[in-house]
Amino acid sequence: MATNGSLIRVKDLKKHYNGGAIKALDGITVDINKGDVMVVIGPSGSGKSTFLRSLNRLESPTSGSIIFDGVDITKRKYKDENGKTVRVDIDDLRQKMGMVFQHFNLFPHMTILENMTLAPMKVKGVSRSDAEQKALALLDRVGLKDRAGAYPIQLSGGQKQRVAIVRALAMEPQVMLFDEPTSALDPEMVGEVLDVMKELARDGMTMVCVTHEMGFAREVGNRVLFMADGQLLEQGTPEEIFTNPKNPRLKDFLGKVL
Amino acid sequence: MGSFIQLSNFPKIAPYAQLFWEGLLVTVLLSLFTVAIGFCIALVLALMRLSSFMPFKFLNQDANGNMKEGGGAIGFISRFNPLSFIATAYVEVLRSTPVLVQIFIIYYGVFSVVDLPTFSLFGFIKFNRFFPGVVALGMNSGAYLCEIIRAGIQSIDGGQTEAARSLGLSQVQNMRYIILPQALKNILPAIANEFVVIIKESAITYTIGVQDLMSAVNAVRGATFIIVEPLLVATAIYFCLCFPTSKAIAYFERRMSHGDKR
Repeated sequence: MATNGSLIRVKDLKKHYNGGAIKALDGITVDINKGDVMVVIGPSGSGKSTFLRSLNRLESPTSGSIIFDGVDITKRKYKDENGKTVRVDIDDLRQKMGMVFQHFNLFPHMTILENMTLAPMKVKGVSRSDAEQKALALLDRVGLKDRAGAYPIQLSGGQKQRVAIVRALAMEPQVMLFDEPTSALDPEMVGEVLDVMKELARDGMTMVCVTHEMGFAREVGNRVLFMADGQLLEQGTPEEIFTNPKNPRLKDFLGKVL
Repeated sequence: MGSFIQLSNFPKIAPYAQLFWEGLLVTVLLSLFTVAIGFCIALVLALMRLSSFMPFKFLNQDANGNMKEGGGAIGFISRFNPLSFIATAYVEVLRSTPVLVQIFIIYYGVFSVVDLPTFSLFGFIKFNRFFPGVVALGMNSGAYLCEIIRAGIQSIDGGQTEAARSLGLSQVQNMRYIILPQALKNILPAIANEFVVIIKESAITYTIGVQDLMSAVNAVRGATFIIVEPLLVATAIYFCLCFPTSKAIAYFERRMSHGDKR
């Protein structure tokens, strides 16, 4: 298992609604190491997505901290090692985290190529030719190079999700976050998306993946987290989680999904 | 009295055809400029209404700079957005008062203080009448267009913003490259409809001496004491302007919705 330092440290993360009446996240503490393929499982409403979306601050947590790249991204400003107060530049941190959504969220008014080159050009200042070259190479990797000029509407669900993955990769992120990437797909298209994710994992990409694909969790994941009611109830290797679950909620959950 | 319409009157008003032609041009130009100005005002207003500018938020922040929930009166002040307040007030006032009153206030109020140059465009459009008319109508339609643009922006799926921001695009870049292009495409028919509304509404500017179609009717009446027939001519012209335009809009609306299924 990769132990070359943690990339994201989540400490006592809480997300409350209505002044604490609803606890979407209730004290999550976990370290995400470089090279980890962390799979988050759990019943719906358990806070998995909220947890994942907090990692790049699409959700603002109520309390706790998320240290990424030496910066606590849950804060608007923080003190650096010299004691100087610095504003947290969330845009700068977000481009180091790729995010893939359940509903793809491709930009419908742009071609596939434009979808992929927009952020590298506008955020990183990459030249158009460089951005397009990189985008085409990435599209080639997922077998969609010939669709570069198409619009998202012309693609199947599986193709859209593959584009969404390489769109995030075009920003050369340090970690990829997947929010139920196969849940909105027709069954026959799930495989093609999972294959791309497996290849990504083999290449050593750090991944955090909320999914209901237990086969994927078992085969590709090196760590599995089980969440319920906003709490992290059990974590371990896929072996430990799937063949030797301890928590009764986890046993119950696995009994239903396997 | 005889009949309501006397066909023999039409030849009598025929010599004034030039007036109707000029009036038609003024009406069309007035409407185009009004929509252009209204759109610019509306875009600014819509962005103001949707902004999250809170200058007093420091009153209710925790040590990390995050907003706290609740907080009574201080919480209310800390969440106060002056930009949104001003834009909302503008829209509500302009939509809740008559256009005629607004035009009079602009013409007799504002432009009695501000001196406008007295030249004519194309030889027959008096700038010092035309300009106040455009400003007044533009300000009014800006209020209506603001709500159209705001609805257009809010109709874009939140996932688009999430995807854009996740890629590192700033709030402004997200608006410019992702949200506005989609929103404006969606509301194009609504903007064109506003154009049709303004063609009709612009008739009211004859009250401040803009020489549009309606004032051509008045001029002919003054010269010939014939009123119904010139009105019918104006009616026909307004209809020929508005009906095909709205039909064309409906056609493009149908075509656009075909290619837009996601």
